[in-house]
Amino acid sequence: MDGLHATNERDLGRKGLTRRTFLGGIAASAAAAILAACGSGSATSTSAPAATATKAAGAAATTAPTTAAAATAAPTGATAAVTKPAGSAAASVVASKGPAKLSDGKLVLAVLNDQSGVYADISGKNTTKLVKQAVDDFMAKYGKDVFGGTVEVIEADHQNKPDVAGQKANEFYDRNQADVILDVPTSSCGLAVAAVAKAKKKMYINVGSATTELNGAQCNKYTFHYAYDTFMLANGTAPLVTKTLGKKWYLVYPDYAFGQDMVKSFTDAITKSGGTVVGTDPSPFPSSGDFSSYLLKVQSAKPDIVGSMHAGGDVVNFVKQYNEFKLRDQKINLAIGLLFDSDIKALGPDAFQGITYTTAWLWTLDDQSRAWADMAKKVIGVRPTFAHAGNYSAAWQYMDAIRRAGTDDPDTVVKELEGHQFNDFFARNATIRKEDHALIHDIYIAQVKPLKENSEEGDYSKILGTTPGKDAFKPDGATGCTISA
Amino acid sequence: MSVRPVTVRYAGYALALIAALILPHIIYPVLALNIIVWGLFAVAVDLLLGFSGLLSFGHAAFWGSAAYAAGIAATRGGVSFPVAVLIGTLVAILLAIPIGYLSIRRQGIYFAMVTLAFAQMIYFVINQWRSVTGGENGIQGIPRTLLGLDLSSATTFYYAALPLALIGYVFAFRVVHSPFGHVLVAIRDNETRARALGYPTHRYKLIGFVISASLAGLGGSIYALGQRLADLEYARWTTSGLAVIMTILGGVGTLWGGVIGAVVVLLLRDWLTTRPELFGVATGGVFAVIVLGFRRGILGTALHWYRSGRPDAPIRRRGLAAARPDPTTVPRVKPEKGGR
Amino acid sequence: MSVVQLFNGLVTGSFYALVALGLSIIFGMMRVVNFAHGAFYMLGAFGAYVLLDSWQIGFWWALILAPLAIGCFGMVLERLLFRRLYALDPLYNFLLSFAVATIIQDAMRLRYGAQGKPYRVTSQLLSGVQHIGSTFYPKYRLFVIVFSILVCVVVWFLVERTRIGMVIRAATEKPDLTRALGVDVDRWITPVFGFGVALAALGGVLAAAMQQVRPSMGEDLIIVIFAVVVIGGLGSIAGSVVAGLAIGVIAAVGEAYYAQVSSTLVFIVMAIVLLIRPAGLFGSVEGA
Repeated sequence: MDGLHATNERDLGRKGLTRRTFLGGIAASAAAAILAACGSGSATSTSAPAATATKAAGAAATTAPTTAAAATAAPTGATAAVTKPAGSAAASVVASKGPAKLSDGKLVLAVLNDQSGVYADISGKNTTKLVKQAVDDFMAKYGKDVFGGTVEVIEADHQNKPDVAGQKANEFYDRNQADVILDVPTSSCGLAVAAVAKAKKKMYINVGSATTELNGAQCNKYTFHYAYDTFMLANGTAPLVTKTLGKKWYLVYPDYAFGQDMVKSFTDAITKSGGTVVGTDPSPFPSSGDFSSYLLKVQSAKPDIVGSMHAGGDVVNFVKQYNEFKLRDQKINLAIGLLFDSDIKALGPDAFQGITYTTAWLWTLDDQSRAWADMAKKVIGVRPTFAHAGNYSAAWQYMDAIRRAGTDDPDTVVKELEGHQFNDFFARNATIRKEDHALIHDIYIAQVKPLKENSEEGDYSKILGTTPGKDAFKPDGATGCTISA
Repeated sequence: MSVRPVTVRYAGYALALIAALILPHIIYPVLALNIIVWGLFAVAVDLLLGFSGLLSFGHAAFWGSAAYAAGIAATRGGVSFPVAVLIGTLVAILLAIPIGYLSIRRQGIYFAMVTLAFAQMIYFVINQWRSVTGGENGIQGIPRTLLGLDLSSATTFYYAALPLALIGYVFAFRVVHSPFGHVLVAIRDNETRARALGYPTHRYKLIGFVISASLAGLGGSIYALGQRLADLEYARWTTSGLAVIMTILGGVGTLWGGVIGAVVVLLLRDWLTTRPELFGVATGGVFAVIVLGFRRGILGTALHWYRSGRPDAPIRRRGLAAARPDPTTVPRVKPEKGGR
Repeated sequence: MSVVQLFNGLVTGSFYALVALGLSIIFGMMRVVNFAHGAFYMLGAFGAYVLLDSWQIGFWWALILAPLAIGCFGMVLERLLFRRLYALDPLYNFLLSFAVATIIQDAMRLRYGAQGKPYRVTSQLLSGVQHIGSTFYPKYRLFVIVFSILVCVVVWFLVERTRIGMVIRAATEKPDLTRALGVDVDRWITPVFGFGVALAALGGVLAAAMQQVRPSMGEDLIIVIFAVVVIGGLGSIAGSVVAGLAIGVIAAVGEAYYAQVSSTLVFIVMAIVLLIRPAGLFGSVEGA
């Protein structure tokens, strides 16, 4: 291109400008029109795809351990029977409309989680199905009119991006009249939604994130942290492993918030139970999927145990390379901070054989859990993970709090949940702690079985022991949470 | 080519402004603001790509660092939101000066890679500097205030932030249509000639780079306050890539095309939150169709139709050796040249 | 730091070299900055998995069959898609390859799940560990080093010492002149593209035994590979190989001393190299 051309270009640019901008305007307004057509395209689905009556009734029986023979609460004509247990102070106020008063005539439970990334199998769309099931089961038990309005379950994929999570959370609360947001794995996404819940003064029960910040420094009145956190993962695994496998630990962790949390919790827990940490190594984030450098360093440090503090795909690669380097043959055992059934499935149980880890729940825990897992398998086709179970339980407890309080007003429901003690198929000896809104419940130390001991697909682990909630989670007042009393 | 009355141009702007004003009533306001600021980000990229011929693959550094700076200023310093935005933009400018100084000495793909390299270093610093940035968890729940007014409502904030973003857009327009902008185009087309004519080309390119970075920083600051969140993802290379994609989809060298690109990408991303099974297939499919079918980008194609009065004029395809872009399309970024 | 860490660096480096080599050849011939290269690498790994899982075809055959199949797939894509945009700015093919990568990756996720599938080398020859000094090192990784370097040497020979190679080199450096001299350059474009893709797939097959075979495995690799190619000098075969190995070793050293920085190290190196040598280590400085 020569100078002449450039000059022409400049002149042409001036003339072209008028049309350019004109069209820009048209295009912008056309775009606006398109937006109008699809802007509100958020999936809303009612709980209509209900389970068959037998399934629902059966599930209700298993999911309500404290109430015997719940199956008697048939969907029809159950109103009278239902009003009675719900007979708290608020119930009489709304007697004309139904037992509970819904602020906008409907109850909306929103599931926000990873449905396309690495955590999709752990929770994902199956969680939505189970939350719908929880709604059906709840209504089967307490009657269709328990809330005096319809119940919807909506969902979205946050794509593991905190900005998407925050935007969706805003939209759920504002546009879809969501009364509660459930799940939200990935710590940064979980925290983003907590900030939104706080600003909107709406309920949020996080099940999927491990960060203690949710019920620590970044806690708020409307946020509840269900199921698990990094502190409890360390406090379950570290004491038992230090006692049984050896005292010298070497920790490798991913170099971001979750990994930092984990390594700190583990170091504390190991030291407290008489072990020592001989080395810690941060692996870059995002990882290259190759941990061989760290395994070599571990090899020369010769600890009793190497602890992988990774999550998701990194765990799988770490274990694969641990096996490749034959560290077990060199008497270096492996402990994993956070392990999901889907990780075990991805590499096969044999690769994980003998590895000890902490979990919030296991479907093979006991008969009650198995019964629930049988129901869940009919709904989602696979054996449920603890995230699936936790979300069902959280949805149930939320609805039950509304039933007891007689209203879905967030402030009242928060009051109702605070300090609530219960037992269900998921959470045993459970208390929702008033101080920081963490669910304190019994947790389990599990060990991966070899493939030949698996009774069926998904029966990967056996339980070695139970740690009572009060010992597993951060003690009262130590979380750094300041929910105004 | 007949000359159009200037009034048509202003009619176009009026329409665009009306669209911007009613946008939060058509779509969700948070999403509306995202479109405005990502559009600004893409315009910033186009300012560099379309008008200086420099493809930056590291603009996330400015977007991200400005977002963090604005977030920290608002959270720790408690400053009002326009001040936070200003601080964020200043941080982007301060970073852009040394990065630009070193990068503009390279061209084409080498320029892209140098900017990527610096952006990765910024990403690393943000991730490591936990005491200030919060590391990967980022800065959550950023407050936004203005003289004691409550800006927590998304719609209110949209209208409060819109003037700031519009300043950015107007500034971009002024730059492109100033003598300075014309020199940039001249340098893009033939740097040797521009230098021979006595223009200090490096200084022009550096100023162009800093202006582009400041617009990206302005967008990033508003984005952080709009989302009430500054996150590590903002500084990741994928964010740079997304802005480049918006620019190309809209049309390189059209300046406003990036806004259309932002509309397409963000609506698609929003739509996909409820259709996770289509995630990559839909994104990839839309991009492929636009690249193959509308090579000048959406706005670029529209302008081309408007100018030539006929559908997509033939693009010369004379095999590789004769590879020359259609003069009406984009400036060819010259990866085969190794800089000076 | 032990000597074994250097081996580790060489393993990583030989991957980088193989994949970068393919990318460099494609860029040299077609000026396509192929973002889908990472996806082809991933497809190679899945190829090995599918061969074993569905047809019980082991590692040695996979080493040949998977790159062949993926290479053919690459040629189809070149014919159907990339070819259409050669006349335009390379930016367009870059975006197209990004779109292709996204679609391929997502299709694999839908088919095999985000967590992916495990792959195991069944050959007895390559299992187990080798004693090196006081430590152990997996035999398979030693094989990877030797094999990749061998492949790089063969490719170098093909390009430098054969007639096809001569055409490729000529077309890479002076396409106009080559055409003017009556060489039918276009005829070679599709096979060369396929060959570059096959090299990426070969890298994938080698990686399958060391990493979980998962749809996102090429996603973060590709950006590092870009850096490697640029450090080596675009279109330079020796450059890609040397830069690949060097970056691998540098990253390994980095991991041993200051692990956090190791993933950023490649970009720091790239910035320094480009600021000192504008066209990379082995690139020729031509033009402006």
